[in-house]
Amino acid sequence: MNKFEQILIQPLEMFYEKILLFLPNFLAAVMLLLIGLFLAWILKLISVKIFGSLQIDNFSERIGLNNILHRGGVKESLSGILSILISSIVIFTFSVISLRALDMPAVERLLEKLFLYLPNIFVALLIIFFGYILSNFLGRAILIASVNAGIRVSELIAKIVKTAVVLLAATMALEQLGIGSSTIIVAFAIVFGGIILALAIAFGLGGKEMAADYLKKKLCEKEEQDEINHL
Amino acid sequence: MNEITLRPEIRRKLDEIETADIVVGIPSYNNAKTIAHVVRAVQAGFAKYFPYKKCLLVNSDGGSNDGTMDVVQNAALDSFESILLHHRTPSMYRITTPYHGLPGKGSAFRTIFEIASSVGARACAVVDSDLRSITPEWIELLIKPVIEDRSDYVAPLYHRHKFDGTITNSIVYPLTRALYGKRIRQPIGGDFGFSGELAKFYLSKDVWDTDVARFGVDIWMTTTAVANQFRVCQSFLGAKIHDPKDPGADLSAMLYQVVSATFDLMKTYDDVWMKTSGSSAAETFGFQFDVGLEPVNVNIERMLDRFRLGVNELKDLWSLVLQQKTVDYLQKRVVEHTDTFNIEEEIWVEIIYSFALASQKKVLNNEHLLKSLTPLYIGRTASFIIRNYDKSASDVEKDIENLCMLFEILKGDFINSWKENKGGANE
Repeated sequence: MNKFEQILIQPLEMFYEKILLFLPNFLAAVMLLLIGLFLAWILKLISVKIFGSLQIDNFSERIGLNNILHRGGVKESLSGILSILISSIVIFTFSVISLRALDMPAVERLLEKLFLYLPNIFVALLIIFFGYILSNFLGRAILIASVNAGIRVSELIAKIVKTAVVLLAATMALEQLGIGSSTIIVAFAIVFGGIILALAIAFGLGGKEMAADYLKKKLCEKEEQDEINHL
Repeated sequence: MNEITLRPEIRRKLDEIETADIVVGIPSYNNAKTIAHVVRAVQAGFAKYFPYKKCLLVNSDGGSNDGTMDVVQNAALDSFESILLHHRTPSMYRITTPYHGLPGKGSAFRTIFEIASSVGARACAVVDSDLRSITPEWIELLIKPVIEDRSDYVAPLYHRHKFDGTITNSIVYPLTRALYGKRIRQPIGGDFGFSGELAKFYLSKDVWDTDVARFGVDIWMTTTAVANQFRVCQSFLGAKIHDPKDPGADLSAMLYQVVSATFDLMKTYDDVWMKTSGSSAAETFGFQFDVGLEPVNVNIERMLDRFRLGVNELKDLWSLVLQQKTVDYLQKRVVEHTDTFNIEEEIWVEIIYSFALASQKKVLNNEHLLKSLTPLYIGRTASFIIRNYDKSASDVEKDIENLCMLFEILKGDFINSWKENKGGANE
């Protein structure tokens, strides 16, 4: 064997052999993933039909679950959510199986870590879900109350409240996932504090005259009040 | 149903009284300035019209800190001769007690019903504690139809300023009349007469943790009486003048409580109102006369501002409840000049029926849904005032009559939608 073969051909041959060994696993993994996607699609269709015949949406209407979802701005029905959940579980399971089929020690170690990490992901998703519902509910409540109080920037106030709740939920979720927990809390505090400070300065400078007018109206002039007895 | 617990001293007092023929209740909360007049009117009413009956006055108080209960205990007529009474009159029993439960008029009424039931009263009445126009004749007019066994429930009939009672005139009266078929002009008047039997019936209902415990109690009493086939009449009481309300009182909370109770009753009694068509007059007692009424100040520009703000900010929310063409119609009203501003009556009827259907379907949280009605109600009130500004009281009454007829005409379509929603829920 000459030097050229030693340096170039031999590694290429080894690489080729490894590819030949890996290729069946890779094809099996791709195959499994495709089967998983197909199965998920089929199961989603079947579960929609089954939940429809079981009248699960009527049940959720009766127990008030639909009401909670609607209040929180979730437009999907319970049967829709469950179908998506089932297909997601199938896709996730087949993804894991296909990764295992690759028979790579590094991937297996990663999968092991992922399984240990799963409860955190589940809790974080729950936090995001309920945070989203709460943000919609509070945003709407604030919007209606501000409009009824005659506040002109009602939509802005409602959006601020909604964003603050979503930010809080996201911070909590990231903390649950252990992603830069202290950094995120500090960042949240800085962002939130910054928003409040910015608003305070904006109101203080921009709304100086408005505040003076408001106080003058409240303390000096008596606005003409309605004397209607509504009841 | 959970029975309320009367305080031991009230129990002792009730044991002492044993029985009473007539009970008149006055709910109160910080009404020290006005309640003495009401107590004296009730006392004079007892002495003048029911001298041989055993009468009990009950003040059910919501924890006043201005001495309301002391005023009730000490208020008395200086001389019975001033009301031309020379015969000996029996003394009136009186009980003042704080009520239990959610703070509100309904909880106060519950205590009154409980006491009336304990003493086996034959006839009862409730009157507001801030009335300035109450006379002894009110007691006669509210109690006599019951004690003479001609009626189980007596609703009031007043002369009011043409712009007063706008929730009554634009929502509650036309809607309850169209639904239950009885023309009770003041279904949430606040001053009612009823039999002891009906008081017991009210007590048997488990509603005291709902809006009935607050402002919803008036419409609940009237609707419960009508829907359960109790004999209902109305008595003409003259003018209703009361202490000016706190201008800071939350209109949207008041509107929410009344409309929520009305819509809840629609769900409870849909088997009754779906079978009812048209409406008939309720028997009316009392000699009717014209009265001078105090002028009412209105700030139309401010009302329109609130309406315009509501349309701009809540139109997306209303799209979940109203038809798109109605939302478009409301958006066009935003740019309309004050003098020509008008929300057509058909649109208003459609809005109310749509909100009732949305409440039935639980499209939104009920409190959000009904509080979002406030700007629409304010806009409609402004439209009503602009349209009737120079009209006489009788012409305004005709306007209200037209609205009632529209509610009755459009009820058929509403019933179909209601059945559709119900069918969908039961499938």
